[in-house]
Amino acid sequence: MDFSIRAANLDDCKDIARMIMELAEYEKVSDHVKVTQKDLEQDGFSKNPFFHGIIAEVPEQHKTKEGHTKIGYALYFYSYSSWSGRAIYMEDLYVMPEFRGKGVGKALMSKVAQLGLAAGCHQLNFTVLNWNKPSMDFYLSQGCFDVTATMDYHCMRCEGEALKHLAQL
Amino acid sequence: MEYKLRKAEPRDVPDILRLVKELAKYEEMEHQVTLTEKELLEDGFGDTPFYHCIITEIQGQNSSEDPKVVGFAMYYFTYDPWVGKQLYLEEFYVMDEYRGLGIGSGILRHLSNLAMKTRCTGMMFVVAENNEPSVQFYKRRGAEDLSQEEGWRLFRFDKDSLVKMAAPSEE
Repeated sequence: MDFSIRAANLDDCKDIARMIMELAEYEKVSDHVKVTQKDLEQDGFSKNPFFHGIIAEVPEQHKTKEGHTKIGYALYFYSYSSWSGRAIYMEDLYVMPEFRGKGVGKALMSKVAQLGLAAGCHQLNFTVLNWNKPSMDFYLSQGCFDVTATMDYHCMRCEGEALKHLAQL
Repeated sequence: MEYKLRKAEPRDVPDILRLVKELAKYEEMEHQVTLTEKELLEDGFGDTPFYHCIITEIQGQNSSEDPKVVGFAMYYFTYDPWVGKQLYLEEFYVMDEYRGLGIGSGILRHLSNLAMKTRCTGMMFVVAENNEPSVQFYKRRGAEDLSQEEGWRLFRFDKDSLVKMAAPSEE
């Protein structure tokens, strides 16, 4: 199957928002999504972007029933390890169900890896849900390791009331 | 004891690396620190910083003594496509002999304020599950353990795997 991988632009935000919702539904937490298409446009495509995007696209003849040609995406940003320096963080990786198993996910991740290496990064980090066996198997087969299992690192978050309270202590 | 919290400057880089190594030693991972002063300088104080840093310094006994850097936090901004901007706390450390004086709380208060000012919806970080004192410190302040509550696991590709993945496919 023919597909192309390219950097996301402002016009892709509508499809990115659609696919973010699809990924959240797959992860069974679609009610958690508060970010809108407008937020994505502002936060990803202004002077100081908070994230970057990559889109996987198929030619017209392979478009979905609803007419979509943008069938996968990855969102990433640059981060930093106090031990090894520059790092790249892959926040989202998603391919629409009917286009899986054709190398699209691998190609998106490969692009993120290329961009990371070009920027001088030493590692690529991301999180995956512990029940998402297909994804975990895919990632492990690509050569990564489970930091939570090997180093016992847990992801923590302080938000809402707790964050407000912390700011006032 | 008078202490001052301020933004790190290029001259602070040797102290930042010293404290990074001290924290790594506390986590029994000292050999994992490969970062150099040169990289810290380039990556934190160049045209596009990869991280930001705040430090706490204590005034010496005599006014002629240089202030001593006793604590720091390294952070950057990340993005959660569900809820937006986050402040990511990469490193947070206060030297052993200066703990229990409110320095850590002061750093966290400053960062939470900054998170709110910059419209972040949350502050995120990782902590080793077996690091009981730290886990309790954060949970007391309302942090949630997303790995435990939602099942998130952190995965990583190191440099060698990254190079393999970036190579063009054979197809």
